[in-house]
Amino acid sequence: MQTAIQKAIALILSGDRELCNILLVTAKMSLSSSFIALCIGVPIGIWLGSGRFPGRGILVVLNRTLMGMPPVVCGLLFYMLFSGVGPFRKLRLLFTVKIMILAQVCLITPLVVGNMETYVSGIAGSVRETAKGLGLGAAKTFLLLANESLYEIFSVYLLAFARAIAEVGAVSMVGGAIAWKTNVMTTAIMQYTNRGNFSLGIALGIILMTVSLMVNVVITLLQRRFR
Amino acid sequence: MEVRAFSKSYDKNPVLQFPAFSFEKGSVYAVIGANGSGKSTFARILAGVLPGDQKSSPFVSACKVGYMPQKSYGFRMSVEKNILLGGKDRQRAQALMEKLDITHLASRRADRLSGGETARMALVRTLMRGYDLVLLDEPTAAMDIASAALAEDCILDYQRENGGVTLIVTHSLKQARRLGDQVLFFHQGNLLEWGPSAQVLEQPEQEETRRFLEFYGA
Repeated sequence: MQTAIQKAIALILSGDRELCNILLVTAKMSLSSSFIALCIGVPIGIWLGSGRFPGRGILVVLNRTLMGMPPVVCGLLFYMLFSGVGPFRKLRLLFTVKIMILAQVCLITPLVVGNMETYVSGIAGSVRETAKGLGLGAAKTFLLLANESLYEIFSVYLLAFARAIAEVGAVSMVGGAIAWKTNVMTTAIMQYTNRGNFSLGIALGIILMTVSLMVNVVITLLQRRFR
Repeated sequence: MEVRAFSKSYDKNPVLQFPAFSFEKGSVYAVIGANGSGKSTFARILAGVLPGDQKSSPFVSACKVGYMPQKSYGFRMSVEKNILLGGKDRQRAQALMEKLDITHLASRRADRLSGGETARMALVRTLMRGYDLVLLDEPTAAMDIASAALAEDCILDYQRENGGVTLIVTHSLKQARRLGDQVLFFHQGNLLEWGPSAQVLEQPEQEETRRFLEFYGA
């Protein structure tokens, strides 16, 4: 373990270009996918949590099912859609960072929706009743609900980011873990471990955890500010 | 102001039956009754926040309706911004805040106020606009005696200025007497007795009303 930590520090200090590339691709992928999932999932979650319409229960159950979707199933789906025989083959997205982001958005959005729905359904009654009593319209009520959920939105982002940065199944299937192109921390750890280079794998794991810690600290500080 | 007959059931169990009714403009109606008698359900349906069994809502003939829920809610923003959600007139907001003695709370976060402070803020917020019908569901329940007295004065001033119909759901018979020109008595989901407050509170016609008044010490 000590050797692995020393190796991790040495790797970072050496400014290894491949490691920098892996870190960059990881950051690009996980920050983008978690942010896009947040932008899509928060409005849907608020709508689902505050809405009273027929079929709402079915949508909630459907989303909860998608929350448990195995990453490899998601990867397989995107692989089939974008591979040489898939309907979107002309887009030539397979084995690119873009499709890795797309697959992750598909995986993470249900988590964002589910968590927002659970939170908003707890406050929606009071907010809706107060807003309606003041004669406020649907758009204003929606904005008030979003404002009431601000703290929760930060928490949900942390969850989304954690899922994105730790995910390996879908990104390895659609990204292919190509060195200098689509290799991210998790797929690189798998590669090094398969080659028997455990200490380098552990070193990358430590770096991954450190990156995750840094993002968590920043978001938590922001969260406190908006509490 | 005409109100069409409506009812409310939960899982086919009727909880409220309200007949067609005519509210007199310029009057304050005190809604009284025991817990679970249907007072709040009645107010919520009239306000349009709870659907009735009938599809043809709203049940009040075309008019502007304001409503203050039983559980006052402070949005995650300053008291002043909360109040301005009710109406944009800053001068009116200032005057109402002074009346209810919450001027010193203007910059405080509304979601961090005490129950009584939140209720005072919510009352000011509701009274920011002139409504044809304003429904206040136990507006002073969380307030101390002094604040409740200020709130009652505020409600009566609003009524005088506005001239519409004010409906106050209350558990306090003293408050019903002080504020209400008319009293509506609910019993087991039915409007059992109504009329001028002196008549209903002093010489009730129904046995249930009499028992209720005796029990609550009128």
